[in-house]
Amino acid sequence: MGKIENKGGGRPVGYNTSFAEEVFRNVDFGEEIKMCMQCGVCAASCPLSLKMDFSPRKIFTLIRAGKREEVLGSQAIMLCTSCYSCKVRCPRKIPVVDVMHGLANYALRQGFVPRKNTSVFGGEFWRQIYKLGRIDEKDLSRRYFFADGLVPGIKNSLEMMDMGLQMLLHKRMKLLPERPIKGIKALRRMLDKAEQMGKGGARA
Amino acid sequence: MDKKTIVYICTGCGIGDAVNVDQLKEVVDEDFSLPCKDHPFLCGPEGLAMLKQDMESEGVNTFVLAACSGRVNYDVFNLGPEAIVERVNLREQVAWSMPPQDEDTQMLAEDNLRIACAKVKDTKLPEAFKAEEEYAKDILVVGGGLAGLTAALETAKAGYNAVLVEKEATLGGWLARNKKRITMPYKELTDTGIEDLVSAVTGNPKIKVYTSASVEKVEGGPGLFSVAIKADGNAVTERIGAIVQANGWVPYDANKLGHLGYGKFKDVVTNVEFELMAAGGKIARPSDGKEVKNTLFIQCAGSRDPEHLPYCSSVCCMVSLKQATYLKEQDPEAVNYILYKDMRTVGQAEDFYRKAQNDGNIFIRGSVKEVGESGGKLFVEADDELLAERIRIEEIDLVVLAVGMVPATKPLQTPRIKAPQDAPDKDEEGMIEVQPDSGFFATPALRLAYRQGPELPTLKYGFPDSHFICFPYESRRTGIYATGCVRKPMETAKVLDDAVGAAMKAIQCCEATANGIAVHPRAGDMSYPEFNMNRCTQCKRCTEECPFGAINEDEKGNPLPNPTRCRRCGVCMGACPERIISFKNYSVPMIGNMIKAIHVPEEDEEKPRVVALICENDAYPALDMAGIKRMKWSPYVRFIPVRCLGSVNLVWVADALSRGIDGLLLFGCRHGDDYQCHFIKGSELANTRLGKVSETLDRLALESDRVKFVEVGISDYHKIPQIIDEFMETIESVGPNPYKGW
Repeated sequence: MGKIENKGGGRPVGYNTSFAEEVFRNVDFGEEIKMCMQCGVCAASCPLSLKMDFSPRKIFTLIRAGKREEVLGSQAIMLCTSCYSCKVRCPRKIPVVDVMHGLANYALRQGFVPRKNTSVFGGEFWRQIYKLGRIDEKDLSRRYFFADGLVPGIKNSLEMMDMGLQMLLHKRMKLLPERPIKGIKALRRMLDKAEQMGKGGARA
Repeated sequence: MDKKTIVYICTGCGIGDAVNVDQLKEVVDEDFSLPCKDHPFLCGPEGLAMLKQDMESEGVNTFVLAACSGRVNYDVFNLGPEAIVERVNLREQVAWSMPPQDEDTQMLAEDNLRIACAKVKDTKLPEAFKAEEEYAKDILVVGGGLAGLTAALETAKAGYNAVLVEKEATLGGWLARNKKRITMPYKELTDTGIEDLVSAVTGNPKIKVYTSASVEKVEGGPGLFSVAIKADGNAVTERIGAIVQANGWVPYDANKLGHLGYGKFKDVVTNVEFELMAAGGKIARPSDGKEVKNTLFIQCAGSRDPEHLPYCSSVCCMVSLKQATYLKEQDPEAVNYILYKDMRTVGQAEDFYRKAQNDGNIFIRGSVKEVGESGGKLFVEADDELLAERIRIEEIDLVVLAVGMVPATKPLQTPRIKAPQDAPDKDEEGMIEVQPDSGFFATPALRLAYRQGPELPTLKYGFPDSHFICFPYESRRTGIYATGCVRKPMETAKVLDDAVGAAMKAIQCCEATANGIAVHPRAGDMSYPEFNMNRCTQCKRCTEECPFGAINEDEKGNPLPNPTRCRRCGVCMGACPERIISFKNYSVPMIGNMIKAIHVPEEDEEKPRVVALICENDAYPALDMAGIKRMKWSPYVRFIPVRCLGSVNLVWVADALSRGIDGLLLFGCRHGDDYQCHFIKGSELANTRLGKVSETLDRLALESDRVKFVEVGISDYHKIPQIIDEFMETIESVGPNPYKGW
């Protein structure tokens, strides 16, 4: 048995299942969590687990124990880069990637913003796709860099300046604004439908 | 029989290139005056035709085949029961592991031939043992639970009669008291099916059932058992061929689990009590009969705990999943917490674990810290290992302790016997605790009239001793096979397989005994030990050391051998200080003569000689494997295979050293708790006896470094060259044996 820390200031934590039930009902693929047997293969496979506050396995434990704030406020659920290592390897065939995205989405809907820049990036990405049907690189990075304010924005921009110049030189980024794609209206109808189904529209 | 012997040398497989065959033929002629032929392909059709023709036209009945290892082509060179065939290993241990056309290689091949020729000289053709009475082939099954019923039914299906003895008034054992069971394919709960099994057994004309019965006495040996049974107060005697012991298990005593609230709170019950409650109808709180809403299962209650049951019973996880399912069936809103150390649902049973997860049971990995009561309900505090926090679960109606299985053979209290005088831990009255590794340890089930105790010797947790991997059913009493949960904890699907296996082993034993041949592991061996009683000094070493309790003794201490109980290991032969125990084809003088046949060069030739007595079960195949892998070792070692290191008589050490042999190596199996000896105690006994060998060495004024015991497993072949090299270095540093040339 590992070392048990008493985070609750000496008082043992209660165990309640209401948050698990909330997740099962509201989160995409949330019900899959109950098949987790805590083997930890997802955590071991995840290239980002070192950056995460809770590994995917731990997230599942916290859900079962009813730790709503920790889970929905967790950086981990927004750090998933959809590499699919966990989903491929899970012996219980839990779509961990989809659960993580489902949780991130649900967290934002519930007013939690675990990672502001990630949600700004997602929101801006969606907005541009909706507007143009493509990404305007300079506009997207500008919004992303300045998400935390002016000073970090300038700092971020200066750091990435060399890459920006190279991209300009190789015509990967244009100075002029991007134009919408052909058939943008058809794309918008699809995105509207996705939004209606609750499957789209990352929020900032 | 008159022996007519010819030596055949095969020159195939590189043997002809490695050694000078003509020189070998000369050795056979000069030292033993035996005719010798060679053939380029002895195991081929022409080579075999030559052997058969010599047998038919010239009446050859003893064949020395100098070719490959005796462990290969044994079927090809099986020349029938009337022929003595001795194999000389010139391939794996000479041609493949020694430099070709070398003086030392040639000397090794010559010595190997001399050893074999000396052996066949003393070998007699074994005759099967035949008892005066007629052999019985009925199978006694002790225990009428799932294992016993299945074993009896399978015996009957195979055409043999079974006698079933059950101590309760009804058949069915624990399974009859279960509500449902989980078995293949592990998707849903199924009916126990015990009624059908019981009626199949009671309705079978080949099965005689005694209920409320016990075995009062077992005399004789396999094929000749006379079993006294007391049934409903009446005494009957049955003649039995072999015995299946299936007396099952008891739950671990929960009264020792006070720290989990058992005995303190009425609503803390064991899984067995819960099962009985479920089978009786409604599951309710024992304290007030109210309905059960929240239940917490504590897994490994006392199991995998050095203070209680140190082992895993392998079924309690599934039992709790089953019982959680009862609760969900009774009330779909019921909440079940399962507090576990590790969920162990072996094999396909994992499917039922998935079902239980899908049903919404809550699994918590951790250890209980407190079970308590507040406001009429129970609470449990535990260290949640995955959260790394102390948790508290409240409002619990029922706590179920998943207790493990204890074999019925394990006594509640360790029996005490009178200690021998030199025992260090005896108490004031001179009594000492019986070790599990003894026939006097287990609770009465068979009451064998054996000198070595009335029950099967057990392993340290009380399960009857068996070779866990290689021959699991074999116990240390020949013809008695343990099966079911008394052998090891197992689930019902496994019990079915296990019981069939034990029944088949019992039938095999009856047939082998009736044909006068040995059962496992020397299956088919016709030889058996014969005692030259004129010279017996009643020292009781053989009766004490036989690992299988084969030898009883009379009041004067004379051994009374029971050949049908014998496994032919030769431990008695190794034990006997008077050397009065011999087999027709294996004896103390025979091995002595084989050692004496080795040619020992003069000291100034600087060619030391080492004799390696090697266990033919594990170490010899390992040595062959090293040869097959073309590993190299010293050409000065002469290997003599023995049935078991337990059959090594210390006189051989004196024989070898007084002849000028520089050292002795003994290759045996691992011993101790995880022993690998086919005869259980053989290598351990050899090691103990060898501890006393320094006496012999002192008498000869020799260094004790000259004799070494090494443990070798069958997979340790890669270590053998190193072991030999290190020993040769020791011999070199000790110097040559001063007895050379005497």
